Amino acid sequence: MLTEESEETASTTAPETQDVRTGRSPGQVAWARLKRDKVAVVCAVIILLFLLIAIFAPFLVSLEAVDPITGAKADPSTVHTELVDFNGLPTVGASSAHWLGVEPRLGRDLFARWAYGARPSLIIGFVAAFASTIIGVTLGLVGGYLGGASDKVISWIIDFFLSLPILLLVLAIIPIMQKRIAAGSDLTPEETSAIRFWVLIVILVVFGWMGLARLVRGEVKSLREREFVQAARAIGVPTRSILFREILPNLVGPIIVSASIAVPAYITYEATLSYLGAGLVEPTASWGRTIADAQNLFATYPLWLWPSVIGLSLLVLALSLLGDSIRDAFDPTSRR
Amino acid sequence: MLTYILRRSALALSVIMATLVSAFLLFFAGPSDPAQAMCPETKCNPARLEAITKSIGLDKPLIEQFLTYFKGLFVGRDFVYAGDTVHCGAPCLGFSFVTRRSVNEELFTRFPNTVVLALMAAVVFVTVGVTFGILAAVRRGSASDRGLVGGSQVLGSIPYYVLALLVALYPVILWNILPQYSSISAGVGPYFMGMLAPALILGLVTSASYVRYTRNSMIETLSMDYIRTARSKGINERTVLFKHGFRAAMSPIATILGLDIAALLTGTLITEQIFGVDGIGRRGLAALRSFDLPVIMGTVLIGAVVVVVMNLLVDIAYSFIDPRVRLS
Repeated sequence: MLTEESEETASTTAPETQDVRTGRSPGQVAWARLKRDKVAVVCAVIILLFLLIAIFAPFLVSLEAVDPITGAKADPSTVHTELVDFNGLPTVGASSAHWLGVEPRLGRDLFARWAYGARPSLIIGFVAAFASTIIGVTLGLVGGYLGGASDKVISWIIDFFLSLPILLLVLAIIPIMQKRIAAGSDLTPEETSAIRFWVLIVILVVFGWMGLARLVRGEVKSLREREFVQAARAIGVPTRSILFREILPNLVGPIIVSASIAVPAYITYEATLSYLGAGLVEPTASWGRTIADAQNLFATYPLWLWPSVIGLSLLVLALSLLGDSIRDAFDPTSRR
Repeated sequence: MLTYILRRSALALSVIMATLVSAFLLFFAGPSDPAQAMCPETKCNPARLEAITKSIGLDKPLIEQFLTYFKGLFVGRDFVYAGDTVHCGAPCLGFSFVTRRSVNEELFTRFPNTVVLALMAAVVFVTVGVTFGILAAVRRGSASDRGLVGGSQVLGSIPYYVLALLVALYPVILWNILPQYSSISAGVGPYFMGMLAPALILGLVTSASYVRYTRNSMIETLSMDYIRTARSKGINERTVLFKHGFRAAMSPIATILGLDIAALLTGTLITEQIFGVDGIGRRGLAALRSFDLPVIMGTVLIGAVVVVVMNLLVDIAYSFIDPRVRLS
């Protein structure tokens, strides 16, 4: 509400009262405030670092030395049973060939698994946030603008989804959906893992659009009655143009804020699901899975557990704090 | 008022019914064969599979299956398994063929553990959240305010399960500072001591958002004219803060508290799993591993009913406090 008010005043009063200075859009104002925010800058650097790790994972892993026992370069998926003893415990520690040592039981290189593990988290976070933003905005616009029966249906669906025990339902649906897709075909573990990856994104989006839809719907309901929208309607602007050209630009602030908060939320959700056993499956390297696997030997092999704990926590923390900063930057009432 | 309550209740009922229907379709008409899941792989033979299929009525049309389940919820029903008839009273949530016990028995005996965990966590987050929130609001702009807000932001931003897991692994399992969970049959004292670690971490993490809600609500209230009036009359600061400010600032917090029950339910699910608390969430997760559909379905239904009923109660309570709500 506040954002929308300020945008209105910014666009109507700026040309009259400040004719010397050129008017700035709310987005530009927010961007300027964000650049001055130290926390936001630090967070952005950390996020960029993780993005680089994810993109250049193969290069980073290739920096590790050739293993003297296996005579091969490390990679995230090759199993080296020669590096573990008959109990499944590693016979080699952290070395130049394995910066974080090797995984108990399977002998896979832990640094490679860690670097590649940044990929699914980031992809799921950004793809799911993007898709659920599109769905949330569309349904919110339609419900809020059209009103009547379609609004009733959409609000009921929002209420319905919001009152489901989502985590439990998601945990139950994912294996069922996986079975439906993979029914009757022999799949390699890689294919199963890839299917699970996309099923996960779809399910996260299906259960994640409601908050934004509710927000957009409320905003649109009040914007619909404003003079500029009525004027557009009066001169016969088609509904589609009113929605996307007149109303949507007023909602850019809340939408960006909501999307930026959604990214860490989805990454957390994915890791939690992976930890609880319904998320990503082997052989995909995933921080959530690694944490789940490593917890049993946490005292003996902290190098197995901690890199993923730190990676996940730091990434989500940086994304969340950046989201908070973006919210503050768009909020004219916050002066820090 | 009555029309509002009725309308709101009808909406809640429709949501519960929709959950019931969609969960049923998902679980029983889905691609997974429930009978196959209930038939242990090592001991499964076609005759046994057929017996299970018959006994849970999977050979009947879907509508009939649903009506049977639906009827069971209100009047109870009987199960025939391996020649024995088991009666399951209303609200009958089904019969687990994995554990060979009724779902009600499986879930309702564990429900108190979940409630105790949620309530203990609620005590922690309400006291901690409100106390620190007021402290931050009163010392607005000071170093302690920034520390509290920043700290709560960091605490609330790290994935909850990672924090809970670290608490479970280090202070509880490795260092033995806090005792591990033990069931109530081992004694009331150890039971509550064992609940301490899970309730503390769940409560502390949840309190992070309450610190900020309380701080914002308190700051808004303290900037009101009547607070200035109270101060100008020379009332001492403590009375102004607690009698005039605190009471008014708490009503939005009470609303959020009610609506947060859903989030708390998710929190208890993760907490129970990590700390081994034998609650309904942990049972649901175990059912997922063995694909024990009646138990999964029961857990989802109980969760939905709790969330919907809590939201309904909050809305109705709020409509008494704020008459504008029921007019809209």
